[in-house]
Amino acid sequence: MHFILTWAVFTVTAVVLGWSSFRAIRNEPVILKQLWVALAAEVLLLAQAVLAAVLLLGEKHAVDGPLFWGYQVTILLFLPIAGLVAFAERTKWSSVVLAGAAITVAVLQWRLGVIWG
Amino acid sequence: MSDPLDSRKPKDLPTGSGLALALLYGLFAIAASARALVQITRDFSDAPVAYSLSALAAAVYIIATAALLKRAHRVALFAVAFEMLGVLVVGSLSLLHPEYFPRATVWSGFGAGYGWLPLLLPILGLAWLRYNWNRGPHGPESN
Repeated sequence: MHFILTWAVFTVTAVVLGWSSFRAIRNEPVILKQLWVALAAEVLLLAQAVLAAVLLLGEKHAVDGPLFWGYQVTILLFLPIAGLVAFAERTKWSSVVLAGAAITVAVLQWRLGVIWG
Repeated sequence: MSDPLDSRKPKDLPTGSGLALALLYGLFAIAASARALVQITRDFSDAPVAYSLSALAAAVYIIATAALLKRAHRVALFAVAFEMLGVLVVGSLSLLHPEYFPRATVWSGFGAGYGWLPLLLPILGLAWLRYNWNRGPHGPESN
């Protein structure tokens, strides 16, 4: 199940990473349009969580449960936190935080794919 | 009516680079805690030294994160300096005496499993604290 979703998440987080890095270098804060893209990534991650739950409950697939859900729940945290920071911190540092969140999500998504098998 | 929430206004939190650094420490607090939790609850007897060091690293990251968020720069300095020492000692030992570490910790190989960020993090932390020492509410100027 992870193949298409994983590449969709990689693509969207790459856009978030590139865009926020560009704005960070130019000393600019996060703008609302970037948060819509981050929201799209978050929706993909939520869809992935629901799909994983369905497949695991239907016993179509077996994984190391606590490990998988540990990553799957944690990965949902970073973009919303970066979104809150974007509202509170109107300097380039909100762009740095969003770029860091995008990298973190991509790395965790890769780990999730390995754990899923 | 004043609510307890009112006293936790965002302005009490660090801003700018301080906020970004605190969040980066928070990320490693989560990563190290999760790793230690899994290692210790599943197979502690496999490598008690390595797994205890994972728990120690997690505690150090949690203290550093909390201190940076509360702008307690002196506490942060102790935590970050200890972290620097830890990553250098554990990193060196893991390369010179791999038999002490049958399982990896966050600090093994100077944090190679985490893109060497565990080595970069205390350097960033010390540099940031040095640069911002007199700007926090708990810096030495309050003596």
